[in-house]
Amino acid sequence: MIGPLAGLRILELADEKGQFCGKLLGDLGADVIKIEPPGGEPCRGVGPFLDDIPHPDRSLSFWYYNTSKRGITLNLETAEGQALFRRLADTADVVLETFRPGFMASVGLGYETLRKTNPGLILCALTPFGQTGPWRDFLSSDLLHMAAGGEMASCGYDEADVPNAPPIAPGGGNAWHMGCHYAYMAIMAALVHRTVTAEGQYIDVSIHEACALTTESAIANYVYRGETLRRQTGRHHAPAPTPRTQFRAKDGVYVTALISGGLNPRNVRSLADLMEPFGMAADLRDPKYADPAVVAGSTSHIIDGVLADFIASLPAEEVYHAGQARGFTWGAVRAPEDLLDDPHLHDRNFWKMVEHPELGRSFIYPGEAALYNGSPWEISRRAPLVGEHNVSIYRDEFGLADGALTILRESGVI
Amino acid sequence: MPQPRALENIRVVDFSWVRAGPWATRWLGALGAEIIKIEWPENERGRLPSSTTPQGMEVNLNTSGNFNDTNVNKKSLSLNVRSPKGLEIIKRLIAVSDIVIENFSSRVLQKWGLGYEELCKIKPDIVYVSMSGYGHTGRNHPYTTFGPVAQAVSGLTYQSGLPGQPPAGWGWSYMDDTGGMYGAMCALTGLYHRNKTGKGQHIDQSQMVSSVPLNGPALLDFTVNGRGTNRPGFPPGNRAHWPGTPLVNNYRGPTVAPHNAYRTHPGGYNDWCVIVCHADAEWQALAAVMGNPAWATDPKFATVSGRLAHQEELDTKIEAWTMTLGKYELTDRCQQSGVRAMPVQSAEDRVEHDPQLRHRGMYQPMPHPALGTHKVQNAPFVLSETPAYNHSPSPMIGQHTGEIIEGLLGYSHDDLRAGFEDGTFWPEERPRFAYQQEMLR
Repeated sequence: MIGPLAGLRILELADEKGQFCGKLLGDLGADVIKIEPPGGEPCRGVGPFLDDIPHPDRSLSFWYYNTSKRGITLNLETAEGQALFRRLADTADVVLETFRPGFMASVGLGYETLRKTNPGLILCALTPFGQTGPWRDFLSSDLLHMAAGGEMASCGYDEADVPNAPPIAPGGGNAWHMGCHYAYMAIMAALVHRTVTAEGQYIDVSIHEACALTTESAIANYVYRGETLRRQTGRHHAPAPTPRTQFRAKDGVYVTALISGGLNPRNVRSLADLMEPFGMAADLRDPKYADPAVVAGSTSHIIDGVLADFIASLPAEEVYHAGQARGFTWGAVRAPEDLLDDPHLHDRNFWKMVEHPELGRSFIYPGEAALYNGSPWEISRRAPLVGEHNVSIYRDEFGLADGALTILRESGVI
Repeated sequence: MPQPRALENIRVVDFSWVRAGPWATRWLGALGAEIIKIEWPENERGRLPSSTTPQGMEVNLNTSGNFNDTNVNKKSLSLNVRSPKGLEIIKRLIAVSDIVIENFSSRVLQKWGLGYEELCKIKPDIVYVSMSGYGHTGRNHPYTTFGPVAQAVSGLTYQSGLPGQPPAGWGWSYMDDTGGMYGAMCALTGLYHRNKTGKGQHIDQSQMVSSVPLNGPALLDFTVNGRGTNRPGFPPGNRAHWPGTPLVNNYRGPTVAPHNAYRTHPGGYNDWCVIVCHADAEWQALAAVMGNPAWATDPKFATVSGRLAHQEELDTKIEAWTMTLGKYELTDRCQQSGVRAMPVQSAEDRVEHDPQLRHRGMYQPMPHPALGTHKVQNAPFVLSETPAYNHSPSPMIGQHTGEIIEGLLGYSHDDLRAGFEDGTFWPEERPRFAYQQEMLR
């Protein structure tokens, strides 16, 4: 079986803003050709690096976000580079680009030009703020998007935990993920439409808008009730303080332990059922807890006392699994590396071995977000080395002579 | 002549509830698919409990503001699927649909007699997207999630916070938003594949598993270099690097300073900005915006290594300056000089004060029969030929039962009435809304 996007050719002209979108498309079977400036895309310079030795072919960040792509170099600011790109664009289904607004048109490669010879072409421009508006030329970064998008206003600490704490931007580069998820969605919608009409289109995606859409109910709380939400440690933002849900277990690892729907006599009984075998049920069997009013008046005792003590008596993984087995929607707050030992992920064959033939080594990579049972996800190759596929594209596919490749290299075109 | 829609003539049977699933189908609806939301008031989760009903308005199944924003562009069919008659009706609906999507726990649809094999008998090329907590396979498949639990178990929560403090985590269900994105992405990908090959499939999306690939560089640092994130200085708050800890990349881009949040005038709860300098030239531009104070010309701040080595002092001095300016004025001054800066924006800021979102029409008023007219969040992309837009408010519960049962499925008006009498379309004992009485006239 082959991936659901097999047969599609994507040209990716993307830096940190869009490389994840290309990976999403490539791992599902599309032929993604990453087009980098001669010498390589600057985000090859972002660490961490293999064995901490900086080199354009050793960036683990670049490795991760560029699986299942081929890579060529091309200077779009030269006339020959533009001619080669137009040839490539004639073979493509989708162009994904993250240049500043107006750049593609300024080098004669705007959508109106490209579509003349390829009317089915879909061009997706993924930029920090979109192609229009007063901020369209502003600079950005992951942190800047997390601020402007509203993520930071919702994340942080209870005053009692960390006095005067700043708003916190969650790590990991998620502003780029948010933009890339919406870009992927828009591209797929255009591709579905094209299966019916054969017509391409131009797509303008704004990362700022994607981030602004990714704060769950915050906008609704303001629009319908005028509320400003407060930041709370390890749990939902809220207009007024809510009981804590994050507790330190015996091994120092935290546990997220929410009580769905709030405390009531029924789930106090369930808590007692869970804790009793560990000798930690305290007074939860007291008949007084059959009275909802008593339960409501005992929230602090039950949550901050009994539940916190129970969790403090066991390792976090044990609390997590014991709680889930009793129907509590709980989880251990794991460090990413802890996931390598998760049996559930192993059952789903989540981890993939990816070969790096130039190193004579293979490494474990994270796998798929979803199982496509009829057309599987696959990492078809590790990230390309700088210009790795120049020969297979320019010579083997386009028929350029070896001598011509040399001249293009020497003159800075590829 | 309205423009065509990307998902013209696509029909989605939407069993989803709460947030992640409805967030997925909201976008399929904005792209033009007909979304038929299957609901039952006795075990409804998403409309109630509501914490976003306007003050002074009765809280009921039709007055949740967050439900409205999450469920625009859909129709609602109230149907007791767990009755033989209801099951028969839903099968007739699936037979004329393209996509089935749900976010129940892993065995629910199978128990109803609507597992993938059964769906294929009804509609051989159906695209079935299940959006469960842990997926339909693997030993923990019966486990349940909320966004915060998927975030905790997958390593996302751990990457947010100050070093030496408990995780700050995500202040909302990021993985309801993002799980919803994956649900929509899976549906569109499955649909594309079906259009090309004629074959449907079951796509097994899991909220917990979908979170893990969002930690890619941190995971590779471990699997390749053997370096875990359980280390001094991680997570480094809003910084790229925490002073006094080993100089390693912390997975948010280049390791630079300044890279932090700073208070702004007048010092209110959300009066903060962020400033990042990726290169020495950007630092010099920032120094110029600050008026080239003497401290900023100290050679110890001239290089990124020097700024990282003296980050505490650097941040203190920058904040003394940022506190003299409002966050929007500061943003404009910095950006006009090529310095990366942005305001921390609350929801109110985004809706009322963000000039870019205003220009792009991000929040558009939409009338709703019970809630009145309120702003609804728009799509973050413009498709030139098939724009995505919000065309209808969230449905009142069961609002479209009559048009779907009679109009689409061809049952008679008497069948509709009988279904209300026998508890197929609405619980017999439950009071009906006025629009339901109207439907039965």
